[in-house]
Amino acid sequence: MICFEKVSKYVLSDVSLYIPKGVCVGLIGPSGAGKTTLIRLACGLLEADNGNVITLGKNPVKHRGHFGSRLSVFMSGVPLLCLDETVKQGFELIKEVYHIPEKNFSKDYSRLADRLGFNGFDSLIVKNLSLGQRMRAELGASLICRPELLLLDEPNIGLDEIGKAVLCELIKECCERGMTVLLTSHDMTEISKACDRLAVLNGGRLLFYGSEEILKSRYVPTDVMTVTLCGSLPDLDDLPLNRYSVEGNTLTLSYNSNYVTAAEIIKLILEQTEISSVDIKKPDLESVCSSLSEHAIIS
Amino acid sequence: MKDIANLVGMYMKTTAKSWFQYRVDTVLKSLAVFLRESTEIIVIYFTLLKFKELNGWDIYEMLFLYSLIFLTYGIMIIFFTGLRDFGSTVRSGSFDRFLLRPRGELFQIIFVNSDWFAAVGHGSLGVVLFLVSAGRVGISWTPALALYYIFSIAGGVLIQGAVFLFLASLNFFLLETGSLKELLYYNMRRFAGYPISIFHRFIQFLMIYVMPFAFVNYFPAQYFLRKSDINAFPEIFMHITPAVGAVMYLFAYLFWRYSLRFYKSSGN
Repeated sequence: MICFEKVSKYVLSDVSLYIPKGVCVGLIGPSGAGKTTLIRLACGLLEADNGNVITLGKNPVKHRGHFGSRLSVFMSGVPLLCLDETVKQGFELIKEVYHIPEKNFSKDYSRLADRLGFNGFDSLIVKNLSLGQRMRAELGASLICRPELLLLDEPNIGLDEIGKAVLCELIKECCERGMTVLLTSHDMTEISKACDRLAVLNGGRLLFYGSEEILKSRYVPTDVMTVTLCGSLPDLDDLPLNRYSVEGNTLTLSYNSNYVTAAEIIKLILEQTEISSVDIKKPDLESVCSSLSEHAIIS
Repeated sequence: MKDIANLVGMYMKTTAKSWFQYRVDTVLKSLAVFLRESTEIIVIYFTLLKFKELNGWDIYEMLFLYSLIFLTYGIMIIFFTGLRDFGSTVRSGSFDRFLLRPRGELFQIIFVNSDWFAAVGHGSLGVVLFLVSAGRVGISWTPALALYYIFSIAGGVLIQGAVFLFLASLNFFLLETGSLKELLYYNMRRFAGYPISIFHRFIQFLMIYVMPFAFVNYFPAQYFLRKSDINAFPEIFMHITPAVGAVMYLFAYLFWRYSLRFYKSSGN
């Protein structure tokens, strides 16, 4: 659906990325990594200095404005709804601009308005809405034309936790129906649930492209286990632990899950003493990304 | 075709709705535009009370000359508000949205917004001036004259639209074009309130060949009035306003197409 081939533009250098049909890819990375540039290249608002971009089988710059309802783009700097009209009017205009059949439109509109929760304020003028309300309406507007390819730049800005969860569900459902999604975010903890693959950008380079599990296990395979003991301290010298600390009767261990499993550790502790509770923390994406960035700087 | 007409109708309906949603506001703002523009007329009126005529033009002939400026501007601004405000459209990112949508960029710019206050303010002033002056300047209206008048108005609208389109295109190269518009358009328009024969040759040159306001009001008005000062200019000038409008608009459009290639979106 989208193919980047050794693309360079502004901060981006030599980025190659292929996104197949029906897949949701999450672009993550710190500010200034080139995420938005990549989105703008994909929809044809920017032209690459080097390399090729192919979107829906076409050159997006030459074909810009001719994708019709096949391509939909959501960007925080590019509002889909006019500020001076009501939400409902804005959707009616989009329907007319994209030739959306009345039957599909009314069905999708009530579904989206219900799911994203803008049916409560769709008779208000857009500029009078709060940021979160406006984002909900804009997200609805980007989905109403049933695109084959959806580009979302920072879609979770201004959304509360429920909003983020709803967005995740909607994206998942759309992908199951064959829609391809490329989204960016610098806060991926919530939104990553909707993504089949992650692409990590930093300093204009693509550091990783693949599933979340592989990313985590390859780059920060450090799990943290907190054990509350009921008896004496166990002797764990034989285990390949990274860190070991004791505070009262709480034992905190960090270990590389590629070398030793949680089950092995717990088994060893239980052989020596009693446990009242165990808590295991898998690495979150934030720490994965920061460690990945450090990796990149070192290598 | 039907679909485009539908869309235009819809755009018009929504912009009119949002401009006219507060009745009192609408009346006051349109009135403000009306009064602001009237000040120039009042100045001319009092001047001519003292001097009776200006280079052979009496007060009603001057008002007739002025009415063309306001009528064409009133109609023009319905269509070209988007070009007048194009700088802020680019900066706000709305232009990126126009580029991504499956419709012509210019089509969307033209129909998505209309400054109805300016349209009503200028338009009504134009109509008032026309009604006051047209009966008193000795025009005997015939269908042919009426047709000429309509074509001249259309030409005047196109000339000013072309200037707006040209200035909007410059936004792709320059960051800020507001002051250029002020200088080239609004200041020159002040000259256009007077018969250009009273000005120095250099100003006349500007008004005919650079910012051709002379074709918006002076030459069409002369076609009706035939004041003696027209002899200083080629007679053909009185007949070509629609052609000047069409040619200027065509060139402005070609320049627009060319400039669009240099567009880089403003980014976040």
